[in-house]
Amino acid sequence: MYYKLPRIEYYRPKTLEEAVRLLEEVEGSKVIAGGTDLLVDMKTSRAKARALVDVNSIAELRGVEDLGEVVRIGAATKLQELLESPIISENLPLLRAAVESMASWQIRNMATIGGNLCNASPAADTAPPLLAYEAELVIAGRGGLRTVPITKFFTGYRRTALSPTEVLKDIIVRKSEWTGWGYIKLGRRGGFTLSVVAVAALARVRDGVIEDVRIALNSVAPTPVRAYRTEEALRGREVSRDLLEKVARTVVDEISPIDDVRSTAWYRREMSYRLALDALTEALGVK
Amino acid sequence: MVVEDPRSIVKRWLEAESLLVVGKSVERADSIEKALGRARFVEDFFEEGYLVARLVLAKVPHARLRAIDYSRALGVPGVARVLTYRDVPGENQVGYAIPDQPLLAEGKVRYCGEPVAIVVGRNPDAVNEAVELVELDIEPLPALLDPLEAMERRDVLVHDSLGSNIAFRTRVRKGDVEEGFSKADVLVENTYRTHHQEHAYLEPEAALAIPDLENRITVLATIQYPHLGQRIVSRVLGTPASYVKIVAPYIGGGFGGKDDEGPLVAARAALAAYHLRKPVFLYYTREDSIQTHPKREAAVIRYKSGASRDGKLTAIEVTIIHDTGAYANRGPFILWRATMHSSGPYYVPNAKVDGYCVYTNKVPQGSFRGFGNPPIHFAVESQMDRLAEKLGMDPVEFRLANMLRPGSETLTGQVLESSVGVHEALRRLAAASSWRTKRQEYERSRTGRFRRGIGAAVAWHGNSTSRGVPDWSNAYIHVARDGSVSVYTGIVEMGQGSPSSSHRQLVAEILGCPADKIRVVFGTTDAPDSGATHASRGTSVGAIGIVVAAGRIRSRLESFLSEYYNVERERIRMSGGQVVVDGEVRMSWEELVALAYTKGVDLSATGYFFLPKGAFNDDVGQGFAYPAFSFIAVIAEVEVDTCTGGVRVLEVHPALAIGRVINPEAVKTQVEGAVLQGIGYALMERLVFSPEGRIVNDNLTDYVIPTSHEVPVIRDPIFVEDLWEFGPFGAKGVGEMAFIPMPAAVANALSHALGARITELPLTPERVYSVIKQISGG
Ligand SMILES: Cc1cc2nc3c(=O)[nH]c(=O)nc-3n(C[C@H](O)[C@H](O)[C@H](O)COP(=O)(O)OP(=O)(O)OC[C@H]3O[C@@H](n4cnc5c(N)ncnc54)[C@H](O)[C@@H]3O)c2cc1C
Repeated sequence: MYYKLPRIEYYRPKTLEEAVRLLEEVEGSKVIAGGTDLLVDMKTSRAKARALVDVNSIAELRGVEDLGEVVRIGAATKLQELLESPIISENLPLLRAAVESMASWQIRNMATIGGNLCNASPAADTAPPLLAYEAELVIAGRGGLRTVPITKFFTGYRRTALSPTEVLKDIIVRKSEWTGWGYIKLGRRGGFTLSVVAVAALARVRDGVIEDVRIALNSVAPTPVRAYRTEEALRGREVSRDLLEKVARTVVDEISPIDDVRSTAWYRREMSYRLALDALTEALGVK
Repeated sequence: MVVEDPRSIVKRWLEAESLLVVGKSVERADSIEKALGRARFVEDFFEEGYLVARLVLAKVPHARLRAIDYSRALGVPGVARVLTYRDVPGENQVGYAIPDQPLLAEGKVRYCGEPVAIVVGRNPDAVNEAVELVELDIEPLPALLDPLEAMERRDVLVHDSLGSNIAFRTRVRKGDVEEGFSKADVLVENTYRTHHQEHAYLEPEAALAIPDLENRITVLATIQYPHLGQRIVSRVLGTPASYVKIVAPYIGGGFGGKDDEGPLVAARAALAAYHLRKPVFLYYTREDSIQTHPKREAAVIRYKSGASRDGKLTAIEVTIIHDTGAYANRGPFILWRATMHSSGPYYVPNAKVDGYCVYTNKVPQGSFRGFGNPPIHFAVESQMDRLAEKLGMDPVEFRLANMLRPGSETLTGQVLESSVGVHEALRRLAAASSWRTKRQEYERSRTGRFRRGIGAAVAWHGNSTSRGVPDWSNAYIHVARDGSVSVYTGIVEMGQGSPSSSHRQLVAEILGCPADKIRVVFGTTDAPDSGATHASRGTSVGAIGIVVAAGRIRSRLESFLSEYYNVERERIRMSGGQVVVDGEVRMSWEELVALAYTKGVDLSATGYFFLPKGAFNDDVGQGFAYPAFSFIAVIAEVEVDTCTGGVRVLEVHPALAIGRVINPEAVKTQVEGAVLQGIGYALMERLVFSPEGRIVNDNLTDYVIPTSHEVPVIRDPIFVEDLWEFGPFGAKGVGEMAFIPMPAAVANALSHALGARITELPLTPERVYSVIKQISGG
């Protein structure tokens, strides 16, 4: 009973415009989606807010849509909806794999994809796949909409490009002919766990040659990160076990892990290599 | 003739044949209530308008406490009072084994998380705010965090008046170890380290204290021994025990933690209610709970053992060091138990064992399922595997060759005449688990990324308190005129299903009445003192009193019936709610009771039973240690990912020698829970301390425990019913058993998979991975 929310004002706007207006006008207000990060933080005084603007009733923030060239995911879409969406399974299997590794059924029915990104934990599980897909984030604010590539969204430890009066509206992913993918998450137990390290890999291989490849990791730096140099070293090369084993090592130079209660920097470096190798093996279809 | 003598009654039911209720997998009496969320726990008794209280915890590990300034806290609107050691009307002393622990810090603080004050207010917001405003005027002192260092230091003392940081010592001297080692053909010597474990019960500590008109006080608390709570509250308040009533409603898990902290949370709530004369609800947040309450023993164990070529142990030499933290708490008892079990369930002719219970400025060590035995068994059973390996013997064969049997002498020289079924348990287990085949199969396939291993571990665990420490059982049973039966016991229900269910089975069997007529009133000081619900005793020692009380009433009824029908007692049967004479149903249970009421038969009885014990010589650690031992053998199969160091337990095969199995299904659930908790301890649970000795991961995000993902295949246990002469129908304890060998079994299976041994717990992926790198030269 001590984990009580402080007294707060609560708003549940029906439109995005109203939400933005409330964030502007109500002092100390904050967006709440599923509340699975925010409410826990507020109850333990890690986060403070005087008022909450609940975005769950804003219809345009919900749902997954196939728009032909791109897939649009409303920021307030529940993680469980993503798991159950055929559009996601078909077009964004890497994202699906990451969501599948997250939390529990109960939490996934509350938690949203936008909340996972905006919370900007270094361990956020939807970040590596979306970094790999190079998703575009549509943000609503006073001046209307703006678009930020996800690669520019995370600006520091639990910090994002959002201003306090902005709302993340959509996550847009351009469809592309990826031939393989792999998401590997290492936690401290078999499930229902934050990652020690997770690696997402996406690849397009033609005639044994790596046309394109993307690699992203979480929990190994202040923000989820891409491993650009490793990607570069693979692009245009012929797929082989040898190449992978040699090149996967370079991810270690692209991260800056720390010791914390979950693990050590040393082990995270070792595992970044191992998981990158495994994820790439799957993505590239290496025998 | 009516039989009232406790020993004769216990004997009669031990020998009883054709049992109808005992030994059956009876459904739990509380399952529906709990599934529907109707079962009430302490917090569910909170009513609007009660005062709420929270602890102020020390934020430094070691300091002189010059003054406590709570003037600012009192200024918060809604705060009613702040209590410190000055407000204790009786004794500010709650040490269980050694009088070293204050209820609220006085003179010094000795660990980060030590309770210093209690803030009472009208709402949690006010209390939360005020807790942060209590200021301690302190003079910091150097903190001791490492027990090995603390043992040697005299310049820094956790308890100034004791002159040393060693709180308690134990020893065993048996035979001549030098000679024993000289006869050995192989020697194995290792240092083992084990770590703290957090109980992580679903329900953190809470107590609701309600004063009444006559200055008496009732405390509902998360507590494993209501009568101990009564003693502690009465000591702290300076009131007679009879003025204090303790009730343990349903408890959301205990595992020993609420045996230590339960009486203290009750006393702190009672103290507040005493001063404020209003109901006060004291509740620990998860963080407060983890910071404050005692943890599983962190141990350093040096172990040397020798064996002869023919596979017989010749000697052991053991040093056990327990980090007891800031207070001895039950540390001396834990060390005693670890010491007297340090041979494992094996015969060793020569032994030298020394135990040290050492103070440090960390959270105290306390009771936790297994009570000192999991770490020592981790050491013993690792040693046994290494010895077998050096001798070129199969680890199971080597164990069997040294195992205790009826008539064997234990480490303390106690001869166990009966109830020693462990040899048979391990033999049957090895066969049922295809031990040999799998052992060879896994050895052959020790290549590739994923490797499997299979390991065995055996454990013993003394029933009842150690040595001559008095232990008893008691209960009160009353049959109402309508034939319904009330059973009063101090044993609590904390998830294990006894007393709510197993005690009911015992009474139904003995009285022959329908089970649904029986109500068990548990966890209350209104019942006779039945002892604690700890040490696996709820349905063993704790239920002997049930057998005696019910046995008395049964005997009176039989006597009455024999006169009434003028037949010998042997011709009367009472079971299933019927009285049968010579095979003919004569009346129902209800009719019998109604009749008995009109004929002067006393249908109320208590069932006091005092356990007979023997002598023990502390100088040499020889003599009577325990009235009986429970035994378990487990075989575990693991798979290790050699690229990450991740270990998964795939399958666990248990075999138990625990006397009569009252309820096989209930035993199975105890085994499953303990196996999983043991896997958590062995593989992932780890408290992280800051350089100042503060627990960093004081929440369940950062302190991980296993989930359903970690549940291996757990085979149905093999039972060897090696009846114990004093147990209810011959039952021994089971609650802790499966935990004890788990860390060892997992470690042995992992060693088998890797071909390398790790002597420090937990076997986290980091640790396993670094060993793999070492052996592969990476
Ligand atoms: C038991 C448990 C297990 C978990 N397991 C995992 C796991 O395995 N992997 C993982 O990555 N996470 C995990 N989480 C964390 C959490 O569930 C996710 O991060 C979730 O996606 C957060 O979404 P939400 O809708 O609940 O966010 P909220 O808590 O509602 O919000 C989080 C933050 O984002 C902001 N925000 C939310 N939506 C918007 C928006 N549309 N525009 C602007 N700002 C916004 C909020 O203001 C807040 O700061 C777990 C949490 C719990 C409690």
